[in-house]
Amino acid sequence: MSQRPALFVAIILAAAVVLAALPLVLPPFYVRVGQLMIYSAGLAVAWTILGGFAGYASFGNAAFIGVGAFTAGLVEERFASLPTPLLLPLGLVVGGFACAVLSAAVAYPILRLRGTFFAIAMLGVCHVCAELNNNLDVLQGSLGLNFPSITPAGWDPATFFYELYLVAGVIVFLIAWQIQRSRFGAGLLSIREDEDTARMLGVPTERYKRIAFVVSAVLTGLLGVIYAHSLGYITTDSVYRDDTNLNLIVYSLLGGLGTLFGPVIGAFMLVFITQVVLARLLDFHLFATGLLLVVLVLAAPGGVLGFVKSWRLKRRYAARVPAE
Amino acid sequence: MNLIAQTVADGLVLGGIYALAAVGFSLIFGVLHVINLSHGIIVLMGAYLALIFSETLHIDPLLTMPLVMASLFAVGYVYQRFLIQYAVDSSAFGSILLTFGVALMLHNIMIWVFSPDMKNITPTYAFTSIKLGPIVLDAVRVSCLVASLVLLSCLAGLLKFSPLGRVIRATAQQTLAARLCGVNVRHVYALTFAVSAAFAGAAGIVIGIILPFSPADEATWTLNAFVVVVLGGVGSPAGALIGGLLLGVVSTLTAQYIGPSFPNVTMFLLLVLLLLVRPQGLLGNAFAPSR
Repeated sequence: MSQRPALFVAIILAAAVVLAALPLVLPPFYVRVGQLMIYSAGLAVAWTILGGFAGYASFGNAAFIGVGAFTAGLVEERFASLPTPLLLPLGLVVGGFACAVLSAAVAYPILRLRGTFFAIAMLGVCHVCAELNNNLDVLQGSLGLNFPSITPAGWDPATFFYELYLVAGVIVFLIAWQIQRSRFGAGLLSIREDEDTARMLGVPTERYKRIAFVVSAVLTGLLGVIYAHSLGYITTDSVYRDDTNLNLIVYSLLGGLGTLFGPVIGAFMLVFITQVVLARLLDFHLFATGLLLVVLVLAAPGGVLGFVKSWRLKRRYAARVPAE
Repeated sequence: MNLIAQTVADGLVLGGIYALAAVGFSLIFGVLHVINLSHGIIVLMGAYLALIFSETLHIDPLLTMPLVMASLFAVGYVYQRFLIQYAVDSSAFGSILLTFGVALMLHNIMIWVFSPDMKNITPTYAFTSIKLGPIVLDAVRVSCLVASLVLLSCLAGLLKFSPLGRVIRATAQQTLAARLCGVNVRHVYALTFAVSAAFAGAAGIVIGIILPFSPADEATWTLNAFVVVVLGGVGSPAGALIGGLLLGVVSTLTAQYIGPSFPNVTMFLLLVLLLLVRPQGLLGNAFAPSR
């Protein structure tokens, strides 16, 4: 696939077209589930640019969802007199910009930490952002913020946001793919495998980490802006969510950490399981999620893709060496 | 002046309890290099067990401590030996996810068994207080602080002087060398986990007496433990004590002088700042590569 980029892009776009046509046949409930699946997959791919490729697993990416959503909302409120089709692009630009500034500012201190310490420091960043947002009255975090309806006339809102998420998701995916196959991506991979050696061999680790962090943050923020619009009304609690922070890690682990398709597979699977399979068992929800995690860790530590890979290796090995 | 003194005194009392609640987490982190995200739920298990024992046996909640500690010691040993060890063997992230999964499951079970409502343990001396000059302290809080300090010293003594403590410290410093000297590392890991679970349970009793608790609190206690350990340094009771007292004082001072909704902000700012300046914590010792 990496040898034939044109073919790869064509396959991805074809898959996107198929997904785009789905709301025509699916019942409304499944359109909403589809929305959530694609949104989660987009977030997971944005997370994986830093967390999967470079091995810096962030536990606080919801900070960027929240910061993006709230800056976009506050600015759109100020410019409410603009024509409706301009509001979302405006929100995306300011939301993305705010995330870029925030991530560039925290990147310098935070990226000096590694492993678990980085993860928890990011959780700290997320909590600090959330509490400041909640307690400073200017930011309207506890009061809540209304978003103007941006659905064009004649569209069903659920379908409209489904298509919007799909466009955003495909863009995020292609960006991540380009990063993965570039020299920059190879640099990130070397950081994940052995940061000190990479640095010694002349990889500009600090710069690479910082760029990956900012790219990941901006993409997360953009998805957050769209998410806020699809909700229509947000408070601090609806965007700075700890379950988002956790799920982003789980998606990658479920699908396969460090791969491009892993987070997508993981997000689709987990959203489907929690929203469709367990939809009627609310009392059982935490237990089932916990059990899934435990089984996952014990049975398939490399995620779905890791499982498939080891299974194929085993089969190939068995074919070459016939049993005696 | 009185207000400051009273705030600091309250902070110190709270800090002693934070320290006790964090010491088990610190031990596991230092010796096994496992981030135990189910720590908070073990603390709550201690609180609920104390509630059950003190109501059925009609004794003072602090007296249930040996029972609670013994049962959680057993639970901790089995949990580490037969579940976490496999996750540690399989992948780097495994133990974090596994303990988180277990925390979710136990959280759900607690909601089924004990309902999601707030509970509290009320000893007979709940409404007496002690006056030290201008500072007023509840008898409950003082007895809990004393219990915390005694337990922390016991653990420090156990680690420093007993044969088990020596083996635990050796394993933490150089696992391979300890194994070469004939230490059964997996057994020691499980024992460490058991000791840590027992102390988490003891902390749970103390917390249950002072504050109301519900299954949803588990995340707070896990997070608090993490902050305390990072502030104070991994793997030592003294580090946990320093970190806990610091955290307690900072959060009461913030609540008093900046605003009741800001303790978490200052707590995390302090944490991030300290991680940058002194990543090994205030009393960090060289064992356990913390980064």
